[in-house]
Amino acid sequence: MTMLGMTSRRRSTERLGQVFTWMCAGALALNLLLAVGLLILIGMHGLAYFWQASVTEIELKDGTRLIGEVHGIEAVPTADAAWEGEQRMRLKIGNRDLYGLDFRWLRESEIETVTTPDEVVLLERLEWGNFYGRMVELRQAGSPVAAGSEAVLAALPDLHQRQMALRESIESLEHGEMGEVNYELEKLRLEERAVRMRGDDARASADLARMERTQAQLDERYRELAAELTAMRDRLHDVVLVMRDAGGQTKEIAVGEIVRVVQPNSMGTLASVRLYLGRIVEFVSGAPRESNTEGGIFPAIFGTVMMVFLMSFAVVPFGVLAALYLREYAKDGPMVRAVRIAVNNLAGVPSIVFGVFGLGFFVYLIGGTIDQLFYAEALPTPTFGTGGILWASLTLALLTVPVVIVAAEEGLAAVPRVVREGSLALGATKFETIWRVVLPAASPGILTGMILAMARAAGEVAPLMIVGMVKLAPSLPVDGYFPYVHLERKFMHLGFHIYDVGFQSPNVEASQPLVFATALLLVGVVIGMNFVAIVVRNRVRRSYATSAV
Amino acid sequence: MRGDATTPEGDPGALAAVGAVSIPDRRALADRIAAIVVRAGGVGIIASILAILVFIVAEVWPLLGGARVVVDAKLSVDPPAQALLVDPYRSIVVSVDGDGHVRARSLESGSVVDERKVIDVSMSSLVAGLADPEGRFLALLDGSGSIAVVPIAWQVSFDQGQRKIAVEIGDPSSYQLPEDRLVMPFVARTTEDGSEVLAAHTATGQIALFRRSREVNDFTGETKESESRSFAAAPANLQHLVLDDEQESLFGSAAGGRIYRWDARPSLAPPIEVAQVDGDITALTLLLGGRALVVGLESGGLQVWFPTVAAEGHESLSLIRKFPPHASAIRHLTSSRRDKGFVAVDAADNVGLYYSTSERVLWRGPAQVEAVRAVVMSPKGDGIAMSGSQSISVLEVDNPHPDVSLWSLFAPVWYEGYSQPEYVWQSTGGTDDFEPKYSLTPLLIGTLKGTFYSLLIAIPLGVLGAMYVSQFMHPRLRNVIKPTVELMAALPSVVLGFLAGLWLAPRIEEVFSALLLMIVAFPVVIIVSGSLWERLPVRWRNRMPVGSEALVFAVTLALAGAGCLALNDAFEAAVFGGSFQTWLRSVVGLQYDQRNAIVVGLAMGFAVIPIIFAISEDAFSNVPRTLVSGSLALGANRWQTVSRIVLPTASPGIFSAIMVGFGRAVGETMIVLMATGNTPIRDWSPFNGFRTLSANIAVEIPEAPQFGTLYRVLFLAALLLFAVTFALNTLAELVRQRLRARYARL
Repeated sequence: MTMLGMTSRRRSTERLGQVFTWMCAGALALNLLLAVGLLILIGMHGLAYFWQASVTEIELKDGTRLIGEVHGIEAVPTADAAWEGEQRMRLKIGNRDLYGLDFRWLRESEIETVTTPDEVVLLERLEWGNFYGRMVELRQAGSPVAAGSEAVLAALPDLHQRQMALRESIESLEHGEMGEVNYELEKLRLEERAVRMRGDDARASADLARMERTQAQLDERYRELAAELTAMRDRLHDVVLVMRDAGGQTKEIAVGEIVRVVQPNSMGTLASVRLYLGRIVEFVSGAPRESNTEGGIFPAIFGTVMMVFLMSFAVVPFGVLAALYLREYAKDGPMVRAVRIAVNNLAGVPSIVFGVFGLGFFVYLIGGTIDQLFYAEALPTPTFGTGGILWASLTLALLTVPVVIVAAEEGLAAVPRVVREGSLALGATKFETIWRVVLPAASPGILTGMILAMARAAGEVAPLMIVGMVKLAPSLPVDGYFPYVHLERKFMHLGFHIYDVGFQSPNVEASQPLVFATALLLVGVVIGMNFVAIVVRNRVRRSYATSAV
Repeated sequence: MRGDATTPEGDPGALAAVGAVSIPDRRALADRIAAIVVRAGGVGIIASILAILVFIVAEVWPLLGGARVVVDAKLSVDPPAQALLVDPYRSIVVSVDGDGHVRARSLESGSVVDERKVIDVSMSSLVAGLADPEGRFLALLDGSGSIAVVPIAWQVSFDQGQRKIAVEIGDPSSYQLPEDRLVMPFVARTTEDGSEVLAAHTATGQIALFRRSREVNDFTGETKESESRSFAAAPANLQHLVLDDEQESLFGSAAGGRIYRWDARPSLAPPIEVAQVDGDITALTLLLGGRALVVGLESGGLQVWFPTVAAEGHESLSLIRKFPPHASAIRHLTSSRRDKGFVAVDAADNVGLYYSTSERVLWRGPAQVEAVRAVVMSPKGDGIAMSGSQSISVLEVDNPHPDVSLWSLFAPVWYEGYSQPEYVWQSTGGTDDFEPKYSLTPLLIGTLKGTFYSLLIAIPLGVLGAMYVSQFMHPRLRNVIKPTVELMAALPSVVLGFLAGLWLAPRIEEVFSALLLMIVAFPVVIIVSGSLWERLPVRWRNRMPVGSEALVFAVTLALAGAGCLALNDAFEAAVFGGSFQTWLRSVVGLQYDQRNAIVVGLAMGFAVIPIIFAISEDAFSNVPRTLVSGSLALGANRWQTVSRIVLPTASPGIFSAIMVGFGRAVGETMIVLMATGNTPIRDWSPFNGFRTLSANIAVEIPEAPQFGTLYRVLFLAALLLFAVTFALNTLAELVRQRLRARYARL
């Protein structure tokens, strides 16, 4: 055979062996195909999400006109014998506020003409999704500023920018001063409850009187701000863009509600690329819109990263201690075997079981106790006694500790014996040897473990669904109010985002491309981290392979 | 490595300590503390896995406990009460007393808080009292043949956090017939809007049904009362009557164990015999929901009967459950307003608390009163009030999880409205009288089904691929290929689930025939391309590292796959007559769901492949070189060496790889959650969905109130998962440890 170079007469068993070898090779080939194919699939779909395709105008044989983006062409399902052999087209028609549906199927035979007119615009809006149509008029305070497609397009950018600035100041007022007043009011309410729970005495009534005064001040401030906000919102709806859809229906859209104006068919390559990059930036740094099916995923990225870092604070020391025990302290025996079995089980027990444990132990038992002791005034609204980022991190720390142990052990094992013996021979104690010599040398291994654990945690969803994730977190776990980091808060997570938007959103079809983009980001981060870990590990191996000689 | 790390920096004592035996105390102490901390870290790992186990067991444990019953209050009364009611917080008891009064007494002090004379016992005697199971009224039958219904209104108020219960005994409304007398048995019900329905036996041997409705005019505030009466025949020796919550069916039992049913809406229809019980019926009650009858017998037997679907139109009841009998005749039965529980009291004043669905005897004990005349369960189902000849006793029942037993969790249970005992998981329903169905069996089967189909894909691909990489591939190539396959393990399962559920499932549905074609085509393509590869000139082949044919195969397989997809329609038309799904339904008789076990098998197989691959690759490549070299030196070829030496030696490692893969598939949550329809059905067909234990936890636990039955049942599901994976992983690790020891010896 090839490998041994022997040939001549082939016995049938040998032939069979050859076939089996091929089968093994085939199995491996299939594995590779699956792995690579999957990555290509996610990559293509994920990256295509940001690309602006041209917008087509279609006239049907019955006279209906439609504007939209073509999302795939396929054969009409064969079950429908009347249209045997025909192709059909899936058109994203947008304009959800007018049509109610995002997509429409068109059969080949229905279509009269397909054109790509230059003047057609696509409006990305804060609400109701995309609008496809032609620009008619721009109005300010009821009187027209510009009419006709080109004039509007020329006048729009300035007004748009102004309105966007206005919107931003509204938002900063809402989240800034208004948020502060709300926060103070809530704090006051809790304080008041705490005072009442303490029982009534002279001091309590003085406190309550003081609080009443503060409350009155705050209420006054709230009313002022609310009035200001209302005035600003009115101004926001003052500038209106009048659009006409393909069928001739007109629609007034407040310019402040528009995120972006694109003329896809008359865009040059450079503009396309800039749009593409701009969308990526928006996706990564923006807030979600339309119940997560549009806009960015910044809160989910932030939540994931913060949870993963919190987790590594817990998991790394624990994992390293266990690895030190296994490698440096324990003698081979039943104890070590028991620890190894425990490690393997921690790695092998389903993640959902960790979630159940986290819910019962961290959330209800520990969190509930903390609430009883320190947050009694807020009850029955739980503070720590409900899912939150801290409990999620601790649950995941338990889940990922085997990853750290295995990698740290490998790192420790790679430290040559002579280094330890040298240190001991110089009179250092075992602890000093480990602390000053072995651990620094093993740190790349520990780092590998930490990265792998973070990658694992970033992709894990099932336990987090139980102990702290939400579809849409009202606020990030970090903000400007004392104590700045709010470990009890619920958070958003990339993985859960995929599940939630992909399966629970009202418009699964329309949001699928966004889910692909999120999946691409998640897969990219996770694979990237794994890749870094592999590189670090290989580098360490190589450096010891030479130094150990 | 840092250069300064090897010399203790800046510590003059360190140099002095070289060669010296003594180490300064502070350093020695630090050393000892470090040793303790590190050991604690090691033990901490064991502790955490044990903590998980112990905690989950502790959460599951109360599920199997029975009811705890203690005496809550006991009052002496004279004359004895014939019927009684308690409020939801068990602070007031209202009773029909022998002197024709209705009295409300505080259970704390025993003092009478309200009373009303309903029957003047000097004119006619009190024959019997009746308590409304919903706690809205008491009824009294007197010797002159009229029935008085006395509404009872409870008011709960809060004053400075203190709960106060007040009771108001309302004006009685009277029921009588002009030319006939009402006699025992009788039954009455009211609705929330104040209409009353009353059915009673008459002295002339009929059943009379009264319906009184009150309509309040929204504008004028006037109330209009209307009464309708209807009559139907009654069987001889009628003994007990019960009426369901909707006042649609009236059930009665007569001598000889016969049970009759009358349609009561809109008016009384003639009776139908619906059941023949073996023995004399001494007590009768309806369970919550009004479909199931509990029958108490002279012999002490307790039975539950309800109509089954097969018996159309409630025409006959079937004997569904028998409970362990009491020693003496059952005298009183009452059912809970919260669940399917009921209480039985026998002639010897022994009380039993039972639950229908789970067929459990929750508690048995003495009544605490003599000669029980009436029994009622408190509205929250957490108390039993009984009246005896001299006293009233109230028992407090702590009964958190009556609705499940180990048996009902795993064995088929005959639920109300089903035609046979079945395994059903249905934890919540739309109505208050819903009977929760907690059978873990369909979920276990779903778990095994998902695991089976994914291992069907993962085992061959993972093990064979690992064998090839470790045995037939050049190390240079191996160092690239191995991490690539193992990187598959890093893919988050939520991404796999998303792809499987939203991308793969609809496509597989379209090209299922192509998938079948691939199963046949792939081996053929491999053999063909292998033979072609072999025919290439040796010169060309030698230029590439050993094992490159796998890469060539990847290309040919990809082409073959594309070919199969292209042939899909033609193949489907030729073999399945146009549509695989139609063919499957009409010829095989199976339903094709879009999100089915095959889709899950593919996605979860994908997740399991890298695990099986990595562990088996380890096992293969750790087979000592000496064995392989020896075999080759003796003239065996590569394949003979692999099949006769490497494979048997590494087989424990393969076994442990499969075990770990199995464990992963059993517990995988997101993929099955997203790629199946999550319907808890019990079926092995690869073409429909299922629900696994893990997905079930993820779906249901957010809705499960803490410490409720569902919560604990879900913890039990988690415990099962834990136990299965613990066993598998421990076994795998033990096998691996032995294998390692054996390799070390070789």
